[in-house]
Amino acid sequence: MEHITAQVLDAELLKRETENPACGALIVFEGTVRNHHRGRQVERMEYTAYKPLAERVLQELEEETKRRFGVAECRIVHRIGELAIGEASVVIVVRSAHRGDAFDAAEWAIDTLKQRVPIWKNDFYADGTRAYQDGVPLSACGSDEHDSASPQSGRDARPEHSLRNQD
Amino acid sequence: MRIEFYGVLQEAAGREALELSIDTPSRVAHILEELGEQIPALQSHLPRIACAVGDEVIPRSEMVSGDAPLVLLPPVSGG
Repeated sequence: MEHITAQVLDAELLKRETENPACGALIVFEGTVRNHHRGRQVERMEYTAYKPLAERVLQELEEETKRRFGVAECRIVHRIGELAIGEASVVIVVRSAHRGDAFDAAEWAIDTLKQRVPIWKNDFYADGTRAYQDGVPLSACGSDEHDSASPQSGRDARPEHSLRNQD
Repeated sequence: MRIEFYGVLQEAAGREALELSIDTPSRVAHILEELGEQIPALQSHLPRIACAVGDEVIPRSEMVSGDAPLVLLPPVSGG
């Protein structure tokens, strides 16, 4: 499966692709379309991507996640197109020998995806209006600000500003 | 030179792409200045955009030939 797809996401397929008998932990993270945004009722959402760069960044993110956390498997697929409430927009599958690294790796992967991958959400509201959600600027035209810290590993490797309670 | 817009920039520019008349090679920063003058609705977005050619993000100091489109990427909101 590509990293960017207009097809319905299939977490079971990604689980099969990453089967690994050396792993005792499997984490599946699915991001799903929520029916509200900043107090407004959302009816559906459209995702768009700049695919040439998004494919490469997601490929690199899989590899970096494995390297930073020492996890055996990491697969990430993001959907584009129009999605209904409750549909999965992103699936991340991580497998590792032990659960701690797998939990941490999956959280880091989704937090970092939100900062690095050229994908945009367009909310369609119940009142008939729509609006792109504001987001995170990609590193200022290639200055690589997003990852200026030296390579880290394990549980201290999350982005400085965790996005886990945001969008 | 072909300029392509993504996300909110498509709304601001009112189109997905345009042909900009500009001497090439040209520095990205100069191209963005020209764009902002031609399409004032883009001005407020320009400080926070990234630029790409193909699958590479490039700095504003870079010279581009115009052989491939210059792609303008607003702040990202995937996930």
